[in-house]
Amino acid sequence: MTDPVATPQVPERRPTDWKGKVMQRRIANRYAAERRFHAMGLGAVLLSVGFLAFLLVTMIGNGASGFRRTEILVPVDFAHAAIRLDPASFRGPGREAALAAADFEGVLFESAQARFGGGVFKILSEGAWLTVRNKVADNPDILKGKADIWVPASSAIDRAAKSGTPDPELDRVRKITDVRTSFDVSFLVGADSTDPTMVGVWGAFKGSLLTMLVTLALAFPVGVLSALYLEEYAPRNRWTDLIEVSINNLAAVPSIIFGLLGLAVFLNVMSLPRSAPIVGGLTLALMTMPVIVIAGRNAIKAVPPSIRDAALGIGASRVQVVFHHVLPLALPGILTGTIIGMARALGETAPLLMIGMRAFVSAPPGGLTDPATVLPVQIFLWSDEVSKGFVEKTSAAIIVLLVFLMTMNGLAIYLRNRFERRW
Amino acid sequence: MTFSVALLLILALGVVAWLTARGKAAAFATSARSHSRPGHHGWYVALWAGVPALIFLIAWSATVPGLVASETLSAPAAVQLPADPMERSAVMAEVRGIASGELAGGFHPVSEQLAPIYRSATTRFGWIGFGIAALLALGGGAYAWFRLTPSFRARTAVERVVMIALIAASLIAIITTIGIVFSLLFESLRFFAKVSPIEFLFGTTWSPQTAIRADQVGSSGAFGAVPLFWGTIFIGAIIAMIVAIPLGLMSAIYLTQYAPPTARKWLKPILEMLAGVPTVVYGYFAALTVAPALRSFAATVGIPGASSESALAAGLVMGIMIIPFVSSMADDSIAAVPQSMRDGSLAMGATTSETIRKVLVPAALPGVVGGVLLAVSRAIGETMIVVMAAGLAANLTANPFASVTTVTTQIVQLLTGDQEFDSAKTLAAFALGLVLFLVTLLLNIVALGVVKKYREAYD
Repeated sequence: MTDPVATPQVPERRPTDWKGKVMQRRIANRYAAERRFHAMGLGAVLLSVGFLAFLLVTMIGNGASGFRRTEILVPVDFAHAAIRLDPASFRGPGREAALAAADFEGVLFESAQARFGGGVFKILSEGAWLTVRNKVADNPDILKGKADIWVPASSAIDRAAKSGTPDPELDRVRKITDVRTSFDVSFLVGADSTDPTMVGVWGAFKGSLLTMLVTLALAFPVGVLSALYLEEYAPRNRWTDLIEVSINNLAAVPSIIFGLLGLAVFLNVMSLPRSAPIVGGLTLALMTMPVIVIAGRNAIKAVPPSIRDAALGIGASRVQVVFHHVLPLALPGILTGTIIGMARALGETAPLLMIGMRAFVSAPPGGLTDPATVLPVQIFLWSDEVSKGFVEKTSAAIIVLLVFLMTMNGLAIYLRNRFERRW
Repeated sequence: MTFSVALLLILALGVVAWLTARGKAAAFATSARSHSRPGHHGWYVALWAGVPALIFLIAWSATVPGLVASETLSAPAAVQLPADPMERSAVMAEVRGIASGELAGGFHPVSEQLAPIYRSATTRFGWIGFGIAALLALGGGAYAWFRLTPSFRARTAVERVVMIALIAASLIAIITTIGIVFSLLFESLRFFAKVSPIEFLFGTTWSPQTAIRADQVGSSGAFGAVPLFWGTIFIGAIIAMIVAIPLGLMSAIYLTQYAPPTARKWLKPILEMLAGVPTVVYGYFAALTVAPALRSFAATVGIPGASSESALAAGLVMGIMIIPFVSSMADDSIAAVPQSMRDGSLAMGATTSETIRKVLVPAALPGVVGGVLLAVSRAIGETMIVVMAAGLAANLTANPFASVTTVTTQIVQLLTGDQEFDSAKTLAAFALGLVLFLVTLLLNIVALGVVKKYREAYD
């Protein structure tokens, strides 16, 4: 009989043959996988950055020409026009009324008709007569004779002149008179219009500024005060938890919900005026406030307790500790958060559509209760226009908005780097 | 007396009160040992002078229009007012316009007669309000002024007011939340009184635009919101996430594990710029550049049903927008994995990519999942991209080149344009808003819960 205890079959162990073919291939595969993974990561970052670059290049490519406008030199013969305008009436007290009543459109039409033959409306912009009116308002004496005036061209001529595509109408005009394409100041100082050659962003921009003013005036104090309360004073109880949960949730609620709230509460219950910057500012303030609270709490949390202890130790009250020491030290962080929150509010469109800030507003708002629109909504409205001339204007408005937002974000980064202290 | 003038006067009075009271306190602080600093005495008097008067002024300005209207209606000429409440309010609007000088003349003859009464009533009540406010300011200021003594605890009183202001500011967050819930709930209940919730939540036909005349067949429209829910999920939770999750996760991995510090310093802010671009810009980009390109691609390949407003265009661009969001959440959760786990894996001979795939990502998975849930909640609440690029046709289709519509698109569509506020069409927007609010709330709570639980596991 053999040994009753069967010895288990122990396989013979040999050291790994690292130099062997199999192992070498395995290692090569593993390194290849490593390189592939590395390349995928780099690819993902580059692809994301590439999207951003493509977006910006598209917008600049489409929008750069929106800052320029084609103008046509039209000699206007005031002295021999069928509609006679008296230079004396454009001076003195009755000036505004006379300017409003005078038929500059007729005068311009007559001169242009004489010059171009037919199709004046295809050549000149609908608002070309406004240029004539402004010239007369500046100097009524030109009414005594002839004046060469650069007036904006129609949208079709404008696009043909900028793109350089051959256009029979443009060629005809070029033979008759001078055509130039130059920087368009009226785009920066004008307001909305139905004619793409006459539009400007200032109206919407001013609306944005007024709205942001209301938002800042409401969201900043409330946000800072509630951040101070939650971080410095609040006892840990159910109420504090409720406040914290509310703030965290409000920061994540879709912006359009705030628009619905604004519509239901500010417009229908409190019957504030539609389309007004004050309502837009109130709605955006509710949206921005949680962002400021969260940023503020982080900034306050970063102030070391030793500062508080030192102030308390020399006899300061708890309010004095916070308002004399903690708040000034946390302020750069709070301001950075506020600017980022404001930049987000500035780019916001959806809640403002809900409260009716999509009206056609052809004059910049004068006050907080005037009908107004804001820059992002203006972009949305122009993007809906059928006329092809609006494409470049929309992109140009986007460039203005992006420049403004980047300035704000740059300011936030500067503040953070310059003033934020690491303890 | 306009409201803003009264406001300015009261503020000026407050400043005067602050200065004089501070002077008085400073004077007695030199001779006796005073409990509070002169500034506290100044604030005490200024608050007594300003706050009651301001509260009264705000309350008064809210009640004055009602008082003026009832005064105008009790005038003898008011018997000529039309009995119909609609016409009556139209005439009253005219009266207000004439009285404020915005209108030159009224359409209705009575409004010309009532306007002077209205105007004089407004002026009189304005003056009464101003008088009471001034009395309150002076009285409050004087009361506080005579309480100032060296032993008076002005600081305690002022700090109590500061605490009240702090608590009030904190409560605004709760009030806003309650306001959202109640305004959505209230309008939604009115909607569900007209359309049954079952039909709304499970119906598959959405065509609210049919309600033109009251006597029309099917004038209530069809409010089956399933196609909207599907469109929202299809764009926000499927297409956008197919773009955003791989790109965001891989970007985060590259930036945290591979990139040299200088590259990270530059690439991270650039990546975050994607999140700072306003959504209306993305929407315009999607509608102007991406959608036409996709449509011509679909036409070349021969995909049927290609539309110029496609789910794919909106979803792709939304995904790009979400990349930095997913990336920063993944970044945070990978950074939270203890260094010892990473070191252990590397010490065993694993390559960096094996460490990431087999150790870091599984360990960070709850955080990444939480981040993705938050990203989904943001994507389904996103409005402008889908409004501009996704179209309005409520289709139940899985073809990414076809046009689908979303909850947010329909809210915008239902609430812009002319509508009366009681129609089912308008109220439907609030019901959709309620669903959106509840779903995003749920996603956020679940996501934050997952993230929190996971953080605790390693702390």
